[in-house]
Amino acid sequence: MTTPAPPKLPLRFFRWYCHPKLRDSIEGDLMELYAERRVKSAKWKADLQFAWDVILLFRKGIIKPTEGYQNLNNYGMLKSYFKIGWRNILKTKGYSLINIGGLALGMAAVMLIILYVKDELAYDSFHQKAPEIYRVVTDWKRPDGSVQHQDGITGYYQGPKFKESIPEIVTAVRWMGNNRTLRINNEVSDISVYNADENFFTLFTFPFVAGNPAEALKDPNSLVITEAKALLYFNSTDVLGKTLDLKADSTFVPYKITGVVKTLPANSSIKFDFVSRLTISPQDYANSENWFNFFLTTFVELHPAASRSTVEAKMAKVYESDAAAAIKEMEEKYNVTEKAVFSLQPLKDIHLSKTYTASSGLFDASDPMYGYMLSGIAFFILLIACINFVNLSIANSLRRSKEIGVRKVVGGNKFTLAIQFLSESFVICFFAFVAAVFLVQLSLPLFNTLAQKSISILSLFDGRMLLAYAGLFVATGLFAGFYPSLVLSGFNPVKTLYGRFRFSGKQYTLRALVVLQFALASFLIMATLTIYSQFNFLTTKDLGYDDKNLVVVNKSNLTRDQFSIFQQMLAGHSGIIGIAPKNGGEWNTVAKVSGEKMIKFQYNIVDESYLPLLKIPVVRGRNFSSDFTADGPSSVLVNEAFVKQAGWDDPIGQKVNFWYRNAEYTVVGVVKNHNYNALNYEIQPQLFTKKPDENFGCALIKLSGQDTQASLALIEKTFKSAFPDYAYTYEFVSENNRRHYEQEARWNKIVMSAAAITIFISCIGLLGLAALAAERRNKEIGVRKVLGASAFSITKGLSVGFLQMVILSFVIAVPAAAMVSSQWLKGYAYRVEFSVWTVVITVMVTTSIALITVCSQGIRAALANPVKSLRSE
Amino acid sequence: MKHYQLGEFEEVVMLTVGVLYNEAYGVSIKKEIESRLSRSVSVGALQTALIRLEDKGYLKSREGEATEERAGRPKKYFEITALGARVLDHVRSTREELWNSIPKVALKLIMTN
Repeated sequence: MTTPAPPKLPLRFFRWYCHPKLRDSIEGDLMELYAERRVKSAKWKADLQFAWDVILLFRKGIIKPTEGYQNLNNYGMLKSYFKIGWRNILKTKGYSLINIGGLALGMAAVMLIILYVKDELAYDSFHQKAPEIYRVVTDWKRPDGSVQHQDGITGYYQGPKFKESIPEIVTAVRWMGNNRTLRINNEVSDISVYNADENFFTLFTFPFVAGNPAEALKDPNSLVITEAKALLYFNSTDVLGKTLDLKADSTFVPYKITGVVKTLPANSSIKFDFVSRLTISPQDYANSENWFNFFLTTFVELHPAASRSTVEAKMAKVYESDAAAAIKEMEEKYNVTEKAVFSLQPLKDIHLSKTYTASSGLFDASDPMYGYMLSGIAFFILLIACINFVNLSIANSLRRSKEIGVRKVVGGNKFTLAIQFLSESFVICFFAFVAAVFLVQLSLPLFNTLAQKSISILSLFDGRMLLAYAGLFVATGLFAGFYPSLVLSGFNPVKTLYGRFRFSGKQYTLRALVVLQFALASFLIMATLTIYSQFNFLTTKDLGYDDKNLVVVNKSNLTRDQFSIFQQMLAGHSGIIGIAPKNGGEWNTVAKVSGEKMIKFQYNIVDESYLPLLKIPVVRGRNFSSDFTADGPSSVLVNEAFVKQAGWDDPIGQKVNFWYRNAEYTVVGVVKNHNYNALNYEIQPQLFTKKPDENFGCALIKLSGQDTQASLALIEKTFKSAFPDYAYTYEFVSENNRRHYEQEARWNKIVMSAAAITIFISCIGLLGLAALAAERRNKEIGVRKVLGASAFSITKGLSVGFLQMVILSFVIAVPAAAMVSSQWLKGYAYRVEFSVWTVVITVMVTTSIALITVCSQGIRAALANPVKSLRSE
Repeated sequence: MKHYQLGEFEEVVMLTVGVLYNEAYGVSIKKEIESRLSRSVSVGALQTALIRLEDKGYLKSREGEATEERAGRPKKYFEITALGARVLDHVRSTREELWNSIPKVALKLIMTN
């Protein structure tokens, strides 16, 4: 008699829900009953009864518990997984080291980036009122509504006027920097003193060591200083009531110290050493043009319940009604048609804002781009390390194929095996994680210099960071272990145990991953080379003037008489070739040419000695001359860019109309274009005048280059005797020019280290793969040798496949690098092109490193005694 | 005296297991109850009761042979444990005590009613 088969669906349902321990016996009962019923009654009836029984069995006690019914056993199994994992690490020490080292580097890179990003995002959030503080920012809009200019700068009026008429604004604080001269024991030095409204220290959280934040800025001549400065000047922080002398016009005025502030947090956009009260004379405040003078930063505190957009709308109304007269006046007087639109920017957004950057008394403006780039690089490194893990695990799995086979035969299924390999990857990841923490500690100082941060080791261990790292650990373990566990658990036990197991197919995944690795590494090498050559270009390009041995000495309000005295005092010294005056800083203004055409240009006050000293040629017309009696205040020189923009065919004798001061100047010469600015920018129009009624701001001194120290000492001595009340500072123009490219220098180092790390990790991965390949082909090599193959041909046979992958990676990396590099280079007005040499060098470097790596294994295999490999089995 | 918990159906199942002695497994218990008490018993109810009794320690089980009509699934035989026997005895003696305490008159009246 054959057993009648019960209906499948209820049976399957039963098998699914039933507790495995009960399953067989109950199922047997059901079967027996079913068989009996089939004899007695119709099939449908028996089926129905069977189904009914199954449904009635669906109850507590029979259904298997959801949390798993073998808790104790699972624990033991997991323990064994970790034990086996540990033994495997010890057994294959080399590969484990590659894996752990690579993953540790990758994880350390990601950890550093997490720290970096956290630091960037936490900027300015230490202020207790941070969520309520906003900066008033300005959009300048043309009459057609398009935006002409956006920045975070405001003037005297915005703060107080908005606060006056908008109830949602709780406080408004203005903040501006000033260069002041400080005198201590007859020594003068230049310092930056910030002027702030009285309630600055109640709005912002800067803890005081001494003094009362609410009262500190009450008095106009009060001064709040930092701990560091207090220690520097008084050797103590107990300095309340002591005074510091600051220069006002021509006399020194004592300022009373009313507060000492703790060292400022590194991640603050507001940075200061000295703060004094902002005082504005009633005449200054009454000036109707104040709505159009923008030079300071205004912060407002909104009521917590206030909506930003409502306040912004109210601000627009206040501006329109209050500034109406000023707007009209500006239009009539200066032809200014742009209008200001004010909005609010949250304090915490300032640091990373690209539209309204941290400027005008605020520091550390950062581009979120850097965060993205660093994250990208860190991700690259981790990815490459994970690829190593994947490749090595799969290549190494041949050694473990028997283990997998046996596990499957004794009942391990695909899932449990996958769990086993995953847990092994977690073991490796754990060691890598521990190593990574140490790596981060070691490399943090270097990273801080490169990224211009001051992240402390302690911030590694804050609660949320630990959570992030735990996440990183789990993600890496899963990411690295997932694919190998899938492949390894899928092995066919019969094949592996029979001993004929070979990887079927051509291992496309494995190869693709190696190609990807090397593509990433060579991409970074090309990026390094591009940044390096651009940096090199920027720092060595002929600027159109000679900045060699050129020193600039600042002195505000340097009158013509003072300059000639200074000149005479320095004259005749062998170390000094020449001296020329110039205005301090950079002045920009507008004027009309050829009738109504407006030109924006840089306005320079110089004399006839300036151009020859800097070796800037005059291409048409002539330089200013002391002989020319005609050289009155109305003669000016312009540069070629000016001529081009003015559209003049014959520039000499053309008029430049400064209508707002009722002056008209005549062009007497054209100066050759030179890069007075960083090379990121095109050369803009320039105008040179020697108007006698405007003072200079600095003196440029050309040194001979011999015995520079003595010359500098002489200049210092001369300056101090000529201007005892002024602080002496000097700067080499060439150093100053180089400083424009600090960013590039930094990025060059960052990308270079990243490239070095990626190529290193890729190569140790390749080394492992090559070693495994050689081992796998052990017998083949032995047979080949016996039959007379040379070491060279065997090495070639082992290496060619890997080199193909490396070469294939260039096909991906070169176009990507070319695209990204030229995009980056577009940010420079003067730039190198992405050159073929970059590609050639990269290909050569990468290929040779890979070749050395692979061949080292190939040669070792080729030189081994074939007897050894053939003897076994 | 310790408190033994035994439901009515559980008691029936235990007694049946005792009746069947070495032959008590799912289907035979079910059939025995159905024929002796003329009530239908679902496999679910029976199995739950058996599991519960085994958990309480009143019954113990052993795997038996697999027959053809069970498509190779083993039988699970049940027998009463010492504890189970004591519980049954306890239940029986308490019942008996109750029976004996009923005045004859009351019983007669009820019977005749």
